[in-house]
Amino acid sequence: MAFSWKAAGISYLKYTQICARAVRNALKDEQRLIAQRRDEQGIKFAKWDGGKQGELKLINPQQ
Amino acid sequence: MSFLARTARAAFQLLLSSFLLSVRYYATEAPAGSGDRLRLSFALPHQTIYSKAEVQQVNIASTAGDMGILANHVPSIEQLKPGVIEILENPNTSKKYFVSGGFAIVNPNSSLDINAIEAFPLDEFSPEAIRTNLAEAQRVASTASTEEEKAVAKIEVEVYEALQAALGKTS
Repeated sequence: MAFSWKAAGISYLKYTQICARAVRNALKDEQRLIAQRRDEQGIKFAKWDGGKQGELKLINPQQ
Repeated sequence: MSFLARTARAAFQLLLSSFLLSVRYYATEAPAGSGDRLRLSFALPHQTIYSKAEVQQVNIASTAGDMGILANHVPSIEQLKPGVIEILENPNTSKKYFVSGGFAIVNPNSSLDINAIEAFPLDEFSPEAIRTNLAEAQRVASTASTEEEKAVAKIEVEVYEALQAALGKTS
């Protein structure tokens, strides 16, 4: 029962992310604004070919 | 000749006994950290709250149930529920944090490592925000169309209910 989210196809990492976001949203305003910045995550990558950097791409799943 | 053999045997036995004394067996008690204090490390990805600090006791909410950890605790790994971690630095000073989830690792040498995504002292939460977010999550949990949305909302309901219970206990 404790892991009913597993049946819905949610992984442990996803689960902890949801919990963390819920906790951040329950804070008082001033702490919440600082904490919510941590919720935004993404990766930046570029393919290097022949010693030259290719196009820089940004992947942000929240957008 | 027999004298020589006897001295050799005595020397060998001396060597053997000193070797045996230095070996630790399964039944040997582990040396305590320092006194009977627990060494606590409590870390988040963005902040270290305790680093090898000596404390009396730590109470955690694990998926296996609520538990109190003292020095010389049996080694184990516990998954933390969204809930309160109470740190008793001394018998009469305690600090409470609400953690979103993570792991507590009890090491054999009286040290405890707690890792969590988010942890805040209870007074940084707004009861108002908890109430409105809980109502919203409950609404979504009962009206969401997909299974996944429902599951997400149920997780949120669990978190906010745990928060309400945690704040209720202090006031």
